[in-house]
Amino acid sequence: MRKFISILLLAGFVFYFATLAGGLMIPSSSADRKSVGLEILSRAKGETGAANAVTSVVVLYRGFDTLGEVTVLFLAALGISVFMKGTGEKRKTVLDQSFILKTGSRLLFPLMFLFGIYIIAHGHLTPGGGFPGGVIIATGFFVILLTSESVHFNKTVMSVLEGLAGLSFIGLGVVGLLGPGNSFLQNFLPLGKFDTVFSAGIIPLIYAVVGIKVGAELSSVVYAMKESK
Amino acid sequence: MVNPILLIIIPLGTAFLISTLASALKNTTKYLALLALLANVWISISLLPEVLQRPINVIIAGVKPPVGINLFVGPLGAVFSVIISIAGVLILLYSFKYIEGEQQHKYYTLFLLLITGSHGMILTGDVFNLFVFFEILAISSYILVGYAGDKNGFEAAVKYLILGSIGSIFILVAIALIYEGTGTLNMADLAGKFSTLDPARRLMILVFFITGMGVEAAVFPLNSWLPDAHSSAPSSISAVLSGFVIEIALVVIIKFVYTIFAMTEVLGFLAVAGVITLLVGEFAAFRQSNIKRVLAYSSIGQIGLILFAMSLNSKAGINAGMMQIINHTASKSILFLTAGYMIVKTGSYQFSDYRGIAKKMPVSSFFFVLGVLSLLGVPPFFGFFSKLNIIIAALHAGGAFYITMVFLVLLGTIIESIYFLKILQVFYARDTAILDVKEAPFLPLLSIALFSLVILLGFLFLPQITSYTGNIASELVTKLQMAQVF
Amino acid sequence: MNGILSVSTVLNTASAGLIVLGLYIVFTQKNLIKMVIGLDLADTGVNVLLVSTGYIKGNTAPIFSKAGLQVSQMVDPVPQALVLTSIVIGFGVSALALALIIRLYQKTGTLDTSKIRGLKW
Repeated sequence: MRKFISILLLAGFVFYFATLAGGLMIPSSSADRKSVGLEILSRAKGETGAANAVTSVVVLYRGFDTLGEVTVLFLAALGISVFMKGTGEKRKTVLDQSFILKTGSRLLFPLMFLFGIYIIAHGHLTPGGGFPGGVIIATGFFVILLTSESVHFNKTVMSVLEGLAGLSFIGLGVVGLLGPGNSFLQNFLPLGKFDTVFSAGIIPLIYAVVGIKVGAELSSVVYAMKESK
Repeated sequence: MVNPILLIIIPLGTAFLISTLASALKNTTKYLALLALLANVWISISLLPEVLQRPINVIIAGVKPPVGINLFVGPLGAVFSVIISIAGVLILLYSFKYIEGEQQHKYYTLFLLLITGSHGMILTGDVFNLFVFFEILAISSYILVGYAGDKNGFEAAVKYLILGSIGSIFILVAIALIYEGTGTLNMADLAGKFSTLDPARRLMILVFFITGMGVEAAVFPLNSWLPDAHSSAPSSISAVLSGFVIEIALVVIIKFVYTIFAMTEVLGFLAVAGVITLLVGEFAAFRQSNIKRVLAYSSIGQIGLILFAMSLNSKAGINAGMMQIINHTASKSILFLTAGYMIVKTGSYQFSDYRGIAKKMPVSSFFFVLGVLSLLGVPPFFGFFSKLNIIIAALHAGGAFYITMVFLVLLGTIIESIYFLKILQVFYARDTAILDVKEAPFLPLLSIALFSLVILLGFLFLPQITSYTGNIASELVTKLQMAQVF
Repeated sequence: MNGILSVSTVLNTASAGLIVLGLYIVFTQKNLIKMVIGLDLADTGVNVLLVSTGYIKGNTAPIFSKAGLQVSQMVDPVPQALVLTSIVIGFGVSALALALIIRLYQKTGTLDTSKIRGLKW
């Protein structure tokens, strides 16, 4: 019965989606479309100094969303640590992987870490930035955790890092609020030479903070999940 | 001028600060949370007079809307911020004693993030930003519902999470269609451009948006998560969730229908949904034996009443609905908070086990009675005026349809009074089976007493309150203009 | 490019299909893990829908590094930023859901919603 109702509902959904709305129309040139995004495109280069327009949207034009987004990740990590409390009964035998895997993963870790930092540092120039970079760093930790179960992180360091990164994000925003622009998250640094690493004002700084935060949060999520076995 | 963005930044920053200092401060982090929320109370109250002159528009990242994100603080935003901050502080005060244990700093962090999300949802002027704050609010509530770590809490949290995620998927679809159709995400800009879409597309966006938000607002038939979530959460969190979280989602729906989508033709449907929600809630509450489930179902009933009042398509209706929101926030918080300590002290959720509890916990029982009377709308409590206004507004709308609706609303109120009187009868029974039960501690009682001041003294400040709610009503019935944002 | 397999048809079908499939799984399955998978599918469908709102036929990524690339040759950057946010939020919610389900499983010993007493779906 429930299946029948849900099929009926969803069929209605599909029908509505396909016919009434006529689906999405993909415009054939940007002249056919008027949107906030295209306006941003025409001014992003001059206003933010970032080569990657998506980054200028993520970090500046919609930077407030990004603050909310890291908050959501922070919440997820916090929630998992709330739920996983008291479930860390020590397993009797520690199952470490073979020597080759262990050494291999430890060799891999610095490389992944470095690559993550590279992605974060070039977020305003190339596709990438704080989120992918942070995920890559967390993956480095994940690889280590997968191969050697005896590894332990210091949870306090993780949560301090998360908190500090969040505070720095807000701090950067508040500097803009106190500055001449009187607006939260306003850029207060010179834009620098276009298309170089040290350019685009506060964008690389914010992305660095986001990278640290995402890296620390995802690592602690993975660690909490692993500990709960 | 105090920048309204501080209302969002202060609790958020404090949450991060608590996470940073948790290992050093141990159990003193709660005072940090209290400081942050007191600052919020001060800011939101100091914003009120200014906002009544003209709405405040806050530009973020130095980019003017519609390109950037802005905060738009009209009377609705300001009054709701006051409600959120004050209720937040009082419930936090209650939590000081109620929440114990080693990881309490996580509770306070979550609580602050919940307040952040609430302020953000009500203040933001951008559709996608609304979604982000909605998620912050929703996720922190999922976690807090399961905070106690018992089986019921986890069950309720999973259920809430799955339904809430479906809701957020619907909201995102609406946002995608909005951006595809109008190329903007700013609410004021959208209000101007929305009418250029063809009617089928408009209706589709509206349906997706209302369905998505309706899950959080607990409108029938999307409310099956609420009784579980509100009854399994720690009582302080039940008070928050019933006190202002569902109201925020409801007000967002109303705000979108009136000021942004400007599709008042769906209001009749919403009014019917409201009355059905009311009846479903009250009938279900009637059959419960768990005191927190009674209160949770009664919240469904109240949200239905508020939805009905706000869907009357008149200033008077919205005005009355806002008053009812204030009444519900205060009285339902009182009920959940007093019930919280009754549960702690007696160890039972069944109100039949509380026979004669008034002898042992006289102060708590007294406040419970106050809450019930105001919720039922007995004069001279605040609830009387709000309910009276709702009935008057509905009768003004005229027609057989609204007369029937009023009749059904009154029927709901009668059922409500029957089950609440049944509980009170148990509380004040002459014989008692409870032996060693003591009164709740001072701090929680203080917080409850401050809440009851609102419903007791509300009628003294009726002119002021109605002037604020009247301003909200006129804000809500007029379509948002881009000019207001600049 | 106006055949049956035009870009807009593909994107519309993909997004609507994923959303419907995901929601169908959530509504009909009783296993909590499967429900989370359904939510993820639906989430992906919404992300496809969201990111496709910014597409402009034949245009390229909005990055100014390459000399001579005109603004009129780029796609809309805003949906890409939105979809980034939406993906991260979706990730957070599913991680949280799985953690909750692990704990619920530890408490009840089952993942079947019909066997868990309180969950009346």
